[in-house]
Amino acid sequence: MRWSTTASHKRQPKPLDYVSDMSAAPAPAKKSTRRIHSSGPRRILLYQTLLVFTLFALWEILVRTGMLPVYLYGQPSGILAKARQLFIDGDLIAHIAATAFASIVGFLLGTALGSFAGLLMWLSKTAALVLRPVIVAINGVPKIALAPLIVVWVGVGLGAKVAIAASLTFIVALISVYQGTQEVDEDLVKLMRSLGAKPLTIWKKVIIPGATPWILSTMRLNIGFAMIGAVVGEYISSKMGLGYMIYNAGALYDLNSVFVGIFCLMALALILDAILGRIEERFKW
Amino acid sequence: MVNLPVLEAKNVTMAFEAGTPHEVIAFQDISFTLRQGEILSIVGPSGCGKSTLFNVIAGLLQPTSGSVTVDGTLVDGARGHIGYMLQKDLLLPWRSVLDNVTLGLEVRGTDPDQARERAMSLIGRYGLAGFESARPQALSGGMRQRVAFMRTLALDPKAILLDEPFSALDFQTRLILQGDVKRIIREQQKAAILVTHDIGEAIAMSDRVLVLSQRPGTVKAIHNIELGDETDPVTLRRSPAFNGYFDTIWQQLDGHKKSA
Repeated sequence: MRWSTTASHKRQPKPLDYVSDMSAAPAPAKKSTRRIHSSGPRRILLYQTLLVFTLFALWEILVRTGMLPVYLYGQPSGILAKARQLFIDGDLIAHIAATAFASIVGFLLGTALGSFAGLLMWLSKTAALVLRPVIVAINGVPKIALAPLIVVWVGVGLGAKVAIAASLTFIVALISVYQGTQEVDEDLVKLMRSLGAKPLTIWKKVIIPGATPWILSTMRLNIGFAMIGAVVGEYISSKMGLGYMIYNAGALYDLNSVFVGIFCLMALALILDAILGRIEERFKW
Repeated sequence: MVNLPVLEAKNVTMAFEAGTPHEVIAFQDISFTLRQGEILSIVGPSGCGKSTLFNVIAGLLQPTSGSVTVDGTLVDGARGHIGYMLQKDLLLPWRSVLDNVTLGLEVRGTDPDQARERAMSLIGRYGLAGFESARPQALSGGMRQRVAFMRTLALDPKAILLDEPFSALDFQTRLILQGDVKRIIREQQKAAILVTHDIGEAIAMSDRVLVLSQRPGTVKAIHNIELGDETDPVTLRRSPAFNGYFDTIWQQLDGHKKSA
């Protein structure tokens, strides 16, 4: 990570290689790259459906012909039946709601506070340099390791889930948004200074809008982290949520239920990502 | 109209690490006077300290000796009376053309309605009418530079520093903007300094061309360009006197000795 102000004038954020457990780098989508996909959205959707359907069909066939043992791998038809049953019972909706709620609250808290802290750090180079090793150290610790502390501090249940999700997203937002402030064209800052702007004015008028693409891309990234946090919280200390459901079913070798939980998490991730995509589209300059 | 001196440089010298064995003199003993409505170009071989001189005039760097005054007051710390136009337009992509033009006024705390009115009159007068709510990304390079120039003018500076503002533009656009900027500077009675490496641009736009020597930069010559009131760079280039100036300055820059 670059903390010095030899800021390059690149406008695209670079991959966040310092966030160890991050699978995708936040790259604010430029309008031009978007258009490529809209060339044939229907065809893409068709291929996506076909892909998923084929995989499930293959899985079902392999299990039915006995090539995959059902007690190890589950079975699509069984998963479907299980999902229907859990849905009718009302359990599934309750679990989904619990996980979604904890993820969203943790996400909002962590991302908002982290982004704000990242923006604030622009105001003091000294503070940024002093805090650097602390942030790197905290970022390096798998947040799961903090779980016992969090349980002691905020107790089990919703509080712990939200706290874990928030702590995960906070640090990601902090690092990435601070990086965003450093990538704002140094010449724009000079221009503002030449116009007589005070640091706080520059911060408000140039740094915050300039870092907005990073905030937005961090949000897309963070919704995933928030879900990880919530599910980890549910593994550890909860009687509700998809994480709890998966963990419990796994212990009972009820693999179909495990898969129901996993697929629900995937669906939730897609929905939340789509919502954020809309928001990103609206606030992009 | 009385042509008052606006910007004066007196024996300006800039040395880095002055007084140490590593002393590097960027330029020395540079003096000139600039009046209202005048454009002075500074040309020189690369490394002659043009950019450093620019920064000193702008008040971004403190000269080792000598002084730069605007309207009789010493230039300090880039506040106030000097506006800039650089090679990069530095428009804020999240702001409309209008909001980019009002940026400086906004920073100064001008009443928003007044700022808007002033910006709109500039936009309307100088070829950007109808684009006030467009985003910079939607504009061509030439139009973006035009917006940057309006942003500079909006603050009504006494003097404007132009640091190779056209060098990133294509030839045609460059010529059009050269003419327009020259005309506007005269109309608005600003004093402007143009730093450029384009001799033709310097002659076409200026009342005077100051030729700097190799480092340490000293004033090699100052040419009064007498080509009449014409502002169109294409027409200007047709005049025989233009070529005369060009040849003289080219010789002084040792351009012919360089193998490029």
